[in-house]
Amino acid sequence: MSRKAIFWILCTTGTLLAVAITAVWMFLGGDRGMLVIGKSTDGHHQIMTTCETCHAAPVFADAAAAERALNQTCRNCHEEELKAAGDSHSRKKFRGPRMAAYRERLDARRCTACHIEHRPEITRAGAVTVAMDFCAACHSEGDQDVRKVRSSHAGLTFNTCASGGCHNYHDNRALYEDFLVRRATQPRVAPLPVHSLSARYRTRQLPEKAALRRRDAIAPESALAEQAVLNQWATSGHAAGGVNCAGCHAPDAAQGAPRAEVEARWVDAPRMRVCEGCHKMEARTFSRGRHGMRGHPLIAPPRDPGRRLEVLGLGGILPEGIAAWLADPVPPTRMTVAESRLPMRADAANGTLNCGTCHRPHAVDIKRAAVQACASCHDDTHTRAYFESTHYGLWQAELAGEAPPGGGVSCATCHLVKIERRGKIMTNHNQNDNLRPNEKMIRSVCLDCHGLGFALDSLADTGLVARNFRGKPAVHVKSIEWAKRRAAAAEGNKGR
Amino acid sequence: MRPGTRKLAGLVLGAAILMAAGVAAEGIPHRRVADMLYLVVSSDRAVYTRKVVQRLTRDKKIITASEHFEDDSALPLPAQMFRFGAELVTDKTEDFSYSLLSLHPINKKNGPGTNMERKGLEYVANNPGKNYYGEEKLGGRRYFTAVYPDYAVAEACVNCHNSHKDSPHADAKVGDVMGGVVIRIPLD
Repeated sequence: MSRKAIFWILCTTGTLLAVAITAVWMFLGGDRGMLVIGKSTDGHHQIMTTCETCHAAPVFADAAAAERALNQTCRNCHEEELKAAGDSHSRKKFRGPRMAAYRERLDARRCTACHIEHRPEITRAGAVTVAMDFCAACHSEGDQDVRKVRSSHAGLTFNTCASGGCHNYHDNRALYEDFLVRRATQPRVAPLPVHSLSARYRTRQLPEKAALRRRDAIAPESALAEQAVLNQWATSGHAAGGVNCAGCHAPDAAQGAPRAEVEARWVDAPRMRVCEGCHKMEARTFSRGRHGMRGHPLIAPPRDPGRRLEVLGLGGILPEGIAAWLADPVPPTRMTVAESRLPMRADAANGTLNCGTCHRPHAVDIKRAAVQACASCHDDTHTRAYFESTHYGLWQAELAGEAPPGGGVSCATCHLVKIERRGKIMTNHNQNDNLRPNEKMIRSVCLDCHGLGFALDSLADTGLVARNFRGKPAVHVKSIEWAKRRAAAAEGNKGR
Repeated sequence: MRPGTRKLAGLVLGAAILMAAGVAAEGIPHRRVADMLYLVVSSDRAVYTRKVVQRLTRDKKIITASEHFEDDSALPLPAQMFRFGAELVTDKTEDFSYSLLSLHPINKKNGPGTNMERKGLEYVANNPGKNYYGEEKLGGRRYFTAVYPDYAVAEACVNCHNSHKDSPHADAKVGDVMGGVVIRIPLD
């Protein structure tokens, strides 16, 4: 055999061996970052700690099963939100034989029909990856042709349906025709502008518990020596609600336990699960939102090489040390500010996001959490402009007692909105529930103080949004006029 | 959907699925299965219309019924209750499906979408008391399709259809054929 042939045999064998080792290494647990085909959408980048969080099908599943599993993972996080929105195009509406013709044009049973990940070059607002005239697939022919059944739509093209402030694909709670007509004459600003749920929350009666004072604190001597912390706690909502030091720092101690037991079970830095014990819904929504989604319970755990080998029928062949070396590193459970894709303050880069980031544990102050905490990280034009806005002026007036409870507008009023569940008002820590498209915010926030027409125009004006609503909207959404005109015409026709 | 409505829709769905599953096992002809399913879904809706909607709205004046029942804190309309049940069925099984359609629908998406739907709706409108049966292929699959006349069973039906801004009707009467119930069972 010639030296040349030996050279090529060695090269080929070496290459194949290297490919095989890399493939096995990746399959078992190694870093698969090189396989990512494109940048993920904003938000989802937070949960790209393991591929299996979204690509949840078994290893050798066929393409159809893989796509089904992928779509199921979308629903794991987004289904509640869609259900609450009364999804206008829910999956179930596209099932059944009579929808077969529509499905051939756009199979809307699958989230991935319109939202494909890792395709930044075709990703539009709302993570949409189909052409913006997607409504034409179903609403451009026969009796469904909106250009014929709505005279106002006669000259319109389909690429403005979902981008003009008139329609959303999923959430039309504030945009449907009768809603527009009923609120057609609302003034720009209500006579008594107050966000009702915020007002009720701030004036609620706290449960009658024995409020604790400074001298009631039960903690190790070293902790009691921290006078500033002790003073903060004594004036906090926790003390007013009867939550002693042990409630958070010795959660495993029995309630009312003596100092000795508290000292024995003392934890200097309690974990988030301690907060979750009392603030269940807040924690639940936090883990679904943009601040805490890495803590979602369905985020896939790191890969275990032992189990992966079992899939191949090779369980138990790896020595423990090699298995540990191959295993995925445990990803950080909390995102850092530096990982955000939004403009953030440089001095906040190393901060992580947990309850204590916004809510100082000893000086629980929702007023701080509602504005200052946000601005301590976020550094975009909308945030900076807030401090020059009318909304901020109202917030300051409320804090000073010059405006009624709920009369001020903080960052949290709009982005961490109050909701009512079974008669209890709480803060929804999932910003995504009313963030984008921004018309999602109209009913939960805007309409308590503003008329629908003003709200629609303001939210459609991107410049005004950036200026944090300083000034008047320069954009006008015509949907209310069109709806009124159609309602009046129908009334006239019925009258004849 | 409100909890009460969900329960009602669940009962309808459960009864219908059990019936379909049971009879299919016995080898009962598709036409007979469709007839039985129609009996269940149309009877339940008639009961909801008369005993719930008409009684509580027109007779007792306790609550209203509204297309926007969540916003209006009202009862869902009988046609909505019917459609919610139909959506639940298609979400849970491919063994059968049903829909409420019309040649003159308030919502255009509930108009005839296939040739057989149009033929069937025209047939039941022009032949009082008769049903229409046929076979069709949709999305590569063959279906036994049955169309049954859908009557306005109560004042609540005609009032809404005569007054709704999108309704082509202005003079519907109790007893009129307003459209049809279409039931499909896959043959493959």
